[in-house]
Amino acid sequence: MAVSLFARLKLRVLRNGFRGKPARVVMFVLSLFFGVWFGGGGCLALIASMQPAYPELTALVPAFAGALLVLGWLFGPLLWFGVDETLTPAKFALLPIPRRTLIGGLLTAALIGVPVAATLLATAGLVVGTAIGYGVLPALVSALGVVVGLLMCVALSRSVTSAFANLLGSRRVRDLAAIGLALLAALLGPAQIFGISALSRADFSRLERFADILGWTPLAAPWSASVSAAHGDYLAAIGKIGIGAVTTALLLWWWSATIERAMLGATDASGPRRAAGSAAPVARLFGRLRWIPATAEGTMVVREARYWWRDTRRRANLITFAVLGVFLPVLVNLGSSPAGLVGDDADFQALPDNPAIHTATMVFVGVLGAIAMANQFGFDGTAYALHLATGVPGRREVRSRIIGYSVYIVPLIVVISILVTVLAGKPSEVPARIGTLLGAYGVSLAACVLVSVYGAYALPETSNPFAVNTGGGLAKSLLALVAMIGSVALSSPLILAAALTGKLWTWLALPVGLAYGLGAVWLGVTIGGDAVDRRGPELLVAVTPRG
Amino acid sequence: MTALALHGLVKRFDQKVAVAGLDLDVPTGSFFGLLGPNGAGKTTTLSMAVGLLRPDQGTAEVLGHDVWVDPVRAKALLGVMPDGVRLFDRLDGAELLAYTGMLRGMDRAVVDQRAKELLDVLALADAGRTLVIDYSAGMKKKIALACALLHAPRLLVLDEPFEAVDPVSGSLIRDILQRYVQGGGTVIFSSHVMEVVERLCSHVAIMADGRIRTVGPLEQVTGGRELEDVFVEVVGGRIATGEELQWL
Ligand SMILES: Nc1ncnc2c1ncn2[C@@H]1O[C@H](COP(=O)(O)OP(=O)(O)OP(=O)(O)O)[C@@H](O)[C@H]1O
Ligand SMILES: [Mg+2]
Repeated sequence: MAVSLFARLKLRVLRNGFRGKPARVVMFVLSLFFGVWFGGGGCLALIASMQPAYPELTALVPAFAGALLVLGWLFGPLLWFGVDETLTPAKFALLPIPRRTLIGGLLTAALIGVPVAATLLATAGLVVGTAIGYGVLPALVSALGVVVGLLMCVALSRSVTSAFANLLGSRRVRDLAAIGLALLAALLGPAQIFGISALSRADFSRLERFADILGWTPLAAPWSASVSAAHGDYLAAIGKIGIGAVTTALLLWWWSATIERAMLGATDASGPRRAAGSAAPVARLFGRLRWIPATAEGTMVVREARYWWRDTRRRANLITFAVLGVFLPVLVNLGSSPAGLVGDDADFQALPDNPAIHTATMVFVGVLGAIAMANQFGFDGTAYALHLATGVPGRREVRSRIIGYSVYIVPLIVVISILVTVLAGKPSEVPARIGTLLGAYGVSLAACVLVSVYGAYALPETSNPFAVNTGGGLAKSLLALVAMIGSVALSSPLILAAALTGKLWTWLALPVGLAYGLGAVWLGVTIGGDAVDRRGPELLVAVTPRG
Repeated sequence: MTALALHGLVKRFDQKVAVAGLDLDVPTGSFFGLLGPNGAGKTTTLSMAVGLLRPDQGTAEVLGHDVWVDPVRAKALLGVMPDGVRLFDRLDGAELLAYTGMLRGMDRAVVDQRAKELLDVLALADAGRTLVIDYSAGMKKKIALACALLHAPRLLVLDEPFEAVDPVSGSLIRDILQRYVQGGGTVIFSSHVMEVVERLCSHVAIMADGRIRTVGPLEQVTGGRELEDVFVEVVGGRIATGEELQWL
């Protein structure tokens, strides 16, 4: 069968990717470890939830866990992991393969991977739990649901990333995409807040009803089928599995449509040739950024700033942060806090008004702001050779990159701070928020610069901004995680200061945060820049894509 | 005086020895052709010579400055066009030239003037605002060459400059390079096109399996024969099929 050929191809590519690359083997083993860890934990939790002794767990857990799983598969690749494009559709463009076979094959190949295995392991808990608690027949139905659910998750992540890549790949719709995403975020925020506050007010029977409804939507249907089967309602169970199957089919159809476009090379065509105009080359390079001094370093800043918009991959990162950066603090600060889920516990309700919590959110957003820099050299790939051949000093290299990126992020941070405080009705807190955010952003920049020099890895040369090499997804998330944990730890003095100084923090935060951030950036530039000087050629090798 | 002096260069990739103890002296003012079959190690050698790839052993000196000890001085004298390396291709041609010039700390007015001249001469001016990523392969070669020439270096290191360019552009590039050498510059380039090498070069070196096999002034190496015959003789290998490929 042709489909099994795809699976073998993927395995072969995986295996060859490990040859002579001990770091990749380590990454893979680590990802296996994490997979077993999370999958195993989920599995145990789901087994417990399907025991007749805990009817309230059975009513809630499978539905909510399923919905979370689907959301994870939806947003995870976009925001965090990227998709493994070992077998890019474009690579098959010249081969006479029927579309059905191609989709089947690509889906099969997509099923080979640690995240899929972890998901399967976790959801298998439903089958085992049903078998223990309710017998064989419900367990069989449950198994069917689990398989359908897994396929649905994979089809979802593939089709959405593919469609999103197409959207961002064509320059003409990029502005539209940005607006659309921002709008989505703007809508998601209030919807979530509404949902959470509704949840916090709801009693158990309301939650149960909500889970019930969720169980009939594609978000949770395949897993909720286990619950129906356990209660002996086989008709409902089959109906729910059917919902999952139909959703999967629709997603696959959508995927194949977007793949077709990707295969036709709907890549970064810059449209019709435009006349050069009469502007001098240097003036043209600077364009609207002509306020930046026309020195060697200024030019590097301008190029970097241009690249954050012109390069699809970088733009995807930028937009993602813009969406997340607005959406996250709004959610935490304006909603009645996630603690609302726990119930009317007074302690939890009191949390959101605590300045330390506000500070912590701001720190998190600030840290997130610099994560896109964690593989900054990977974005350029071998183009870095120009800097190496020219002998650009390392500190200048790093500094210009930081400034070029901050041209976007710093104004965004200021806007986010103002937006959040004004929406919360506490405009007097604006300076404190800006200070905290900038402090955390500076620390995170420093950490990400170091990660980007020592942990650079090559990105595949495709038009899909979410594509990563085999095993690259974990490398990406692990390195970003290291940078994040490091910078949150290094930013913790800010949280501590907020907690200790209380009201005084409102006035201290701006100068202290600014100084803290700038100090960190200076340190990052010094250490990271000298590292670039020392290991420039090794950096070039690291970012050279070589399968 | 040697423009480029390579001594005892060695580079290993895993098991494969790509360059095995290579010595080469490129005299100042020479037009130097580096020949060799695919996989001989030309790209590896040139990369180590210009500071893009760290050698396992050996030294590389540009006009007396060690590339790995005193990179700033050495690289200021160098113009490089590597092979198989991307450009900052999300800029258009003029922007890329402006970027390269400013990166080298050149005066803004000089960059503008030279960039415009280069674009006109290399017939890239009518590409307008097309990004370099959307250029054809030959156009990319030409813009890369322009980037290497922009700061008027003393030594040009070019990896396969004539690959993928059309005959007219090829003649043009030859003319540019000849004029550059007459003006006192030095060129070393790798190529598979024997006619070009024969017509242009004052010196040639033929390498195989990471070693220099023959080196010297062109007439001395050829001894009146065709360069292609000399190449085949030095490198060995088959040039005709026997019984195979009957099905073709
Ligand atoms: N990064 C690398 N990793 C492993 N092996 C490599 C690497 N780069 C080059 N090689 C090997 O080193 C040898 C020399 O390669 P190189 O690119 O220098 O040859 P070349 O003379 O430029 O060939 P061509 O004429 O085809 O351009 C080849 O056998 C190649 O397989
Ligand atoms: Mg080569």
